[in-house]
Amino acid sequence: MYPSGTDLSITEWCRVIDEAADLGVVHVGFSGGEPLLHPNLPDLIRHARQTKLYTNLITSGIGLTEQLATQLQAAGLDSLQISFQSDQADLANEIAGTQAHEKKITAVRLAQVANFALSANVVLHRKNIERLPQIVDFILSLGIKRLELANTQYYGWALLNRPHLLPTREQVTAADNFVTREKVRLQKHIEIFYVLPDYFMNRPKACMSGWGQRYLTVNPKGEVLPCPNASSIPNLRFDNVRSQPLSWIWNHSESFNQFRGEEWMTEPCRSCPERTHDFGGCRCQAALLTGDAANTDPVCDLSPRRTIVDSILATTNETSPSASLIARHNPSLSMQ
Amino acid sequence: MSDILLQNRPELAPGVRLQNDRLTGEAMLLSPEQVVILNATAHSIVLKCDGSTSIQQLLDSLATEYEAGLDVLQSEVLAYLSELHEKKLVIFSP
Repeated sequence: MYPSGTDLSITEWCRVIDEAADLGVVHVGFSGGEPLLHPNLPDLIRHARQTKLYTNLITSGIGLTEQLATQLQAAGLDSLQISFQSDQADLANEIAGTQAHEKKITAVRLAQVANFALSANVVLHRKNIERLPQIVDFILSLGIKRLELANTQYYGWALLNRPHLLPTREQVTAADNFVTREKVRLQKHIEIFYVLPDYFMNRPKACMSGWGQRYLTVNPKGEVLPCPNASSIPNLRFDNVRSQPLSWIWNHSESFNQFRGEEWMTEPCRSCPERTHDFGGCRCQAALLTGDAANTDPVCDLSPRRTIVDSILATTNETSPSASLIARHNPSLSMQ
Repeated sequence: MSDILLQNRPELAPGVRLQNDRLTGEAMLLSPEQVVILNATAHSIVLKCDGSTSIQQLLDSLATEYEAGLDVLQSEVLAYLSELHEKKLVIFSP
């Protein structure tokens, strides 16, 4: 009925939004790729607002024009998050691979005029982590009141470029000390969220608050994923909103049930008291680093495979990569 | 949080929305990263966080609504408002 590879139409997206609301979803995040490139974005946001969902747009900011900002405001967009690479145009543009920095600053001004709840997201890595003090000053100078500092998660593009991106232990310690101090000092001016890089921790992150517990992602092809990176897990098949209702997929699909709860767990997770808090960590990371998504996330030092992470850290701290970054290509809209 | 004054006028922070859950009917506050379910009392308080009602007026009207003493209400309401403030859900105008 549908040519393979066809993106969901606006009618189909609206039906997915309705089904999500019926399922009890309250937040919808429009991300990508770059959601601003989707021609029907204001319509989708308007529909989500009419369905009483809280709407959040996660964007690079590139492509936000005055006209589009006005349309998004009229559609009822609640909140907007703009990603920054650095405080300096040169470094930011090298990382983003385009003349992005000035366009992002323009997007911030437009978002402020439109009165969206605005936050900035900066992904930290080897090339920008030492500029954290300047980055925080820069975000403050833009009048942004909420800043997420995330460390790179190594899937897809970042995994390919890991030797360029993974910071050294010294860099991480310095950043950690800085954020702990500044968070308190600046708390009246800006709310800073900081996520430690998991390779440097001895317990895994509680990825997605548990598989199939709180989140679902619908990609432009209509496939429903338990996590945005789930397609990095080999042999995991995703059901499609064109073939099944969203509620069936959430409750009954193989992909959602595969790692839901605790049945799938292997040791050391299976008998570990911490399994109820961290859910065994990240399935994608287990798959990518150990070859089996049902293994304990190898970040955990109770895992017999922690040596994999340790050897990555050892190699990274010794070498200074010289080849250039592999450029990113841009996919389109997804919804979660 | 001792710097909340009774003449302050609380209001929802930018990007925070009060609505009822379409399935359960429960009142909740939504923000970019949070969902806070409100019980009946909390809902009464949040409904009056409109940027024009002062905390004193809010207390007076709750005292009538719940037939409760102002002294009991005041400490509980201030504690709750300061909790919402710390969660960045409510701001105070002077």
